[in-house]
Amino acid sequence: MSGERILVVDDNKTNLKLVSDVLECEGYRILKASDAESAQEIIGTTPPDLVLMDIALPGMDGLTLTRHLKADDSTRHILVVALTAFAMNGDDARAREAGCDGYITKPIDTRTLPGVVAGYLQGRA
Amino acid sequence: MSIDLSALLLRETPDSIIITTPAGEVVYWNKGAEQILGYASAEAVGKPLDDLIVPTEYIDQLNRYRHEAIANGFSTFETARRPKDGSLVYMVVSNKVVYDGEGRAEHIIISQKDVTHLKVLRDAKLVESQFRDLLESTPDAIIMANQTGRIVLANSQAESLFGYERGAMLGKLVELLLPSRYRGGHVAHRSGYFGQPRTRSMGAGLELYGLRSDGSEFPVEISLSPLQTAEGTLVMSAIRDITDRKLIERALQEKNVELERANKAKDSFLASMSHELRTPLNGIIGFAEFLSDGKPGPLNEKQKEYLGDILNSGRHLLHLINDMLDLVKVQAGKSDLVPERFRLEDAVNEVRAGVHPIAITKRIEVAITIADDIDVVMLDQQRFKQILYNLLSNALKFTNDDGHVGITATREDADRFRIVVSDDGIGIRAEDIGRLFTEFEQLETGTARRFGGTGLGLALTRKLVELHGGEIHVESEIGKGSRFSVVLPLAIKGARA
Repeated sequence: MSGERILVVDDNKTNLKLVSDVLECEGYRILKASDAESAQEIIGTTPPDLVLMDIALPGMDGLTLTRHLKADDSTRHILVVALTAFAMNGDDARAREAGCDGYITKPIDTRTLPGVVAGYLQGRA
Repeated sequence: MSIDLSALLLRETPDSIIITTPAGEVVYWNKGAEQILGYASAEAVGKPLDDLIVPTEYIDQLNRYRHEAIANGFSTFETARRPKDGSLVYMVVSNKVVYDGEGRAEHIIISQKDVTHLKVLRDAKLVESQFRDLLESTPDAIIMANQTGRIVLANSQAESLFGYERGAMLGKLVELLLPSRYRGGHVAHRSGYFGQPRTRSMGAGLELYGLRSDGSEFPVEISLSPLQTAEGTLVMSAIRDITDRKLIERALQEKNVELERANKAKDSFLASMSHELRTPLNGIIGFAEFLSDGKPGPLNEKQKEYLGDILNSGRHLLHLINDMLDLVKVQAGKSDLVPERFRLEDAVNEVRAGVHPIAITKRIEVAITIADDIDVVMLDQQRFKQILYNLLSNALKFTNDDGHVGITATREDADRFRIVVSDDGIGIRAEDIGRLFTEFEQLETGTARRFGGTGLGLALTRKLVELHGGEIHVESEIGKGSRFSVVLPLAIKGARA
């Protein structure tokens, strides 16, 4: 039970719930946002250790928000892991370019997700 | 009042009267010559006669008769001359040499009579007697012309095609049958044709049109062949009205464009549908997986079993959708290969590892043999693995417990290798092999349905192999097993190994 705080940003409610519940089960404290604007607000008040960021979002997209976070001294330390639709279509490269610390290809594999997330958090430590 | 009869004769005779030096330089050119040959006296005088009006193929003949005239004082012959407009006229020529006091040739007087019309009649008579019966019996319109481009024979099919009375086309220039915009160019073409006569179709790749006597046009297809006769070379044109064919072609083209558009719409529909279908499906699979792992709470055996069923069905559906999306992409040409250098053996081992759980469950041994002369290849690694995975999982699926499956790679030639996936499974009936690589044609031979699968795997596999510039074949015998054999390049064309 690590207890780190993870913000999950996804406009698909089912996916948001799935990712959140799987990680919650592992003992993480979970914050949820369904768009970049409300994610920004949450980060301002309750800074998480890691953001799982869907790239395609209504309004501001996930990569734009990532650039904002990485440009700001007060949020630069927060790990951002992109949730990309396909590794094939170049989303992974775009995610790295925007400053993401890593990416996870959708669909989410509930069996491997906790390990991957733990790996990112440990890598930071 | 005295009339200068000699002057009158020279001026008014319809024949062409020319005087040249013994070497052939024009010194006099009468009005008849101006009319028949098209050059004014001022244009002609001082020029070599050979360059002005003698077609290349008649130069030898001209020299022969000029020498004969200089030697004997006189020569006469029939020939063809090229007037200024590039056409051709037949002429009967008389040469008379005038000598000086010491017996040296001083001038040649050349009298030429235009016999084009007579020649046409003669040619017409000849071909009429030799070919009329034959040509009347062919379905095509046939027109024969002589070197002057005048029609010497038109069969009745040609007369009705172009709308002329019997015999009305005889002696006319063939350009009569062309829309006026093509006439100028045609004169040059037909002169060129007599230079190198051979059988060929006219204006390959061009749209050709005929002109009827009533002024209407119609599309035609024409083939030309030279015909050697006692009266010289004639050209025979077989003309076919292709109005109907053009209409059908156009209709087919329109239909084709329509079909392509419909097909594209279908592809993009399928592509977006596949994407839309996957999103909720990922939710179904994700939650089922999460639940069946017992993470949110303990489950009893039945609950575990049913969740397993949901997962299996969901994964099968996801597989189907992924295959469909892949197939649509490859079909739409949207799938580019990403060439990568990798060791063939490593890739084969990775694919085998992917099917290891099934192989263990069915106690099937998967033997790999890779020839020593195959090491690194330059292919789209992911696609290659997909091809091999499809063939290998099929082999395992259709092989009974304790059976054997083998993967063998050998060098095919300098640039290609062959990879064979063989099994000793249930096999495929000969009559089913043809349908094997067609979408949704999973064979219904009795028990085949119990093996599951998407029915897209082999169609996709073939497409991927073809995308690499390779080929796939299958040999099989019922009850004995199957051999799927794929030939691929060692390096994708255009990629550097």
